[in-house]
Amino acid sequence: MPSAQQIKRRIKSVDNTAKITKAMSMIAASKMNRAQEMALKSRPYSERMMNLLADLAAQPQFEDDAHLLLTVRDINRIGLIVITPDRGLTGGLNTAVNRFAAQHMLQSGHEAEVVAVGKKARDFFSRTGNLKAVFTDMGDRPSPADVTPISKIVVDEYLEGNVDAVYIIYSKFVNTTQQVPELITLLPVEPATLEQKDKVGYIYEPSSGDVLNELLPRYIEMQIYHSILESVASEQSARMVAMRNATDNALEMKSDLTLEMNKARQESITSELLDIVGGVAAVEA
Amino acid sequence: MSSGKVTQVIGTVVDVEFSAEEMPGIFNSIETKIGDRRLVLEVEQHVGNNRVRCLAMGPTEGLTRGVEVVDTGGPISVPVGDPTLGRLFNTLGETLDGLDEIKDSERWPIHRPTPSFEDQATEVQVLETGVKVMDLITPFTKGGKIGTFGGAGVGKTVIIQELIRNIGTEHQGVSVFAGVGERSREGNDLWREMQESGVIDNTVLVFGQMNEPPGIRARVALSGLTMAEYFKEERGQDVLLFVDNIYRYILAGMEVSALLGRMPSAVGYQPTLSTEMGDLQERITSSKSGSITSLQAIYVPADDYTDPGIVTTFGHLDAVVALERSIAELGLYPAVDPLTSFSRILEPGIVGQDHYDVARNVQQVLQRYRDLQDIIAILGMEELSDEDRQIVVRARKIQRFLSQPFFVAEAFTGQEGRYVPIKETVRGFKEILDGKHDNLPEQALYMVGTIDEAVENAEKMKSEQK
Repeated sequence: MPSAQQIKRRIKSVDNTAKITKAMSMIAASKMNRAQEMALKSRPYSERMMNLLADLAAQPQFEDDAHLLLTVRDINRIGLIVITPDRGLTGGLNTAVNRFAAQHMLQSGHEAEVVAVGKKARDFFSRTGNLKAVFTDMGDRPSPADVTPISKIVVDEYLEGNVDAVYIIYSKFVNTTQQVPELITLLPVEPATLEQKDKVGYIYEPSSGDVLNELLPRYIEMQIYHSILESVASEQSARMVAMRNATDNALEMKSDLTLEMNKARQESITSELLDIVGGVAAVEA
Repeated sequence: MSSGKVTQVIGTVVDVEFSAEEMPGIFNSIETKIGDRRLVLEVEQHVGNNRVRCLAMGPTEGLTRGVEVVDTGGPISVPVGDPTLGRLFNTLGETLDGLDEIKDSERWPIHRPTPSFEDQATEVQVLETGVKVMDLITPFTKGGKIGTFGGAGVGKTVIIQELIRNIGTEHQGVSVFAGVGERSREGNDLWREMQESGVIDNTVLVFGQMNEPPGIRARVALSGLTMAEYFKEERGQDVLLFVDNIYRYILAGMEVSALLGRMPSAVGYQPTLSTEMGDLQERITSSKSGSITSLQAIYVPADDYTDPGIVTTFGHLDAVVALERSIAELGLYPAVDPLTSFSRILEPGIVGQDHYDVARNVQQVLQRYRDLQDIIAILGMEELSDEDRQIVVRARKIQRFLSQPFFVAEAFTGQEGRYVPIKETVRGFKEILDGKHDNLPEQALYMVGTIDEAVENAEKMKSEQK
């Protein structure tokens, strides 16, 4: 049985851990609000853009001769953009995304190229040896300008025919306690088919073709940007929950250890007392 | 023969006065009668005024001052040799099995000198037990001393009995079992089981159980040992000596120590603790004539391994099998702690490089798992790196694979026991460490014999699921 002193040392270390995890949980909580807001606010914009794209794609002149980024080709190689946080201590978030990505890679049965966004994705895929590019240190508030290089790389790869489809894998923010890994197809762009009631009947100036050319790259950037925002929101939420659980666990452990320490201390006091009393009695007898 | 008179009775300690010319020697056995009952006393001290202080080898109810006591002129002696085989004795060498008393056999005194330095044997030979965790982590030596430590109810006696079954039945020579201060019922069970299996013909049983006064319990181990020594020295045989439980020997000495007028030492133990332990343990050695391999169960009071009684015993042993309550609580039997158990002979030169490496690696993996346990408790498994997670998975498999069904525990586990040869044990753990069985479910490795059985188990579980 460890002595009271040894247990005390452990209590101290557990206590310090609890302090750190508590601070981390509080920091994550404050960052979380902002990240959630950003993610949620970007949703309507990308939805509208989706609608507009759908309308454009349905224009008669594209029916026969589709834009390159819209053409569906036979798939030989695929590209994956895997988005994870830079840092750990987020519960199962990183592992879930990386596993989901690896699983998708295996199931697709195609050779894959990976663009890792975030250090955790980099670390995971550096072992499989098919990293194409790495982007880290996006920070808590990524700006749309940050994603331009990412989108450039994947569009170039796609246009050059190195890959025949590009997917984004990120963790979708559902709510504070729930984040799920999600896969969306980025390229070729699949415009939604519009319901009759949603058709607006836009008039495009100068021409629908020019607008589409302008719109497509922006759309791709927007998709990536939005995924990163969701990922950041997920990261902060997951970290807050994970650190709160860790704090609870540490405090529980501390109270268990305290009980054990008190028992050990009382035991040593009792045995010392017995020794002294016994010794005295023996001398007197 | 000189005679004296009882002058004082304090519990089991009796003072007797003799005439100055006819004082009995230390450790002499002196006798008296209470009604029809014979009471043997053993002289422990000369206290002056022609008085000797004695330890009663039996209940002192009915004893009065002034009763006449006769000096037998020598120490307590027990019958030795062939007539003792298959019999059941008490400390004084009287039979307990209801058959005829042994009259005309040779008798040896229970207090004897320890073998000299030059007589002691040095040869080392591994003794297979068939129990995975012991063969791997704490390999036994023939002629060595092995202790099984554990708190109350973690399975010391079960392990000793399994070893009696595995080694005692395979073993061709003589076995001696000394029951020291343990449950009388267990002694009875053992006796009957041995009769059924026929092992009894090569076995001597000596009992001084819980119901006996401390004098008996303090000497019963010596009586058993003396019988074992005869076979070793006179016949040159390899003898197995089982002692359950050595700690009761210490405890019996402690009970009478204060009554004999010694001042209690640390934690209330007798000041002569290490002398008493040394007197017993030093005699349990292998000499050039033959060997005594002893297996001792040692109770650990309050699971405290720093207890002076335990520490004193530790030093005498060649191999220590430490039983841990936290492992028993996980339902993993035998509850041997692979990290605190050790054996003197676990070195490449004796057990082989392969065995040594596997044993050390098993310990390393388990130690790493233990280190990680705080992190897992606070942050959860997800935060571990992939390497650490693999270690945790393998450690949990190893923990389960260390468990094994026992023959003697069949009634509790409902499973027939398994005897696993050392080679199979080493192969099994090596394969787990190498990651060959990473895909087996943990449960498949629980309570099995060889690793092949675990694989079979896993397949059975798979087909049941479908």
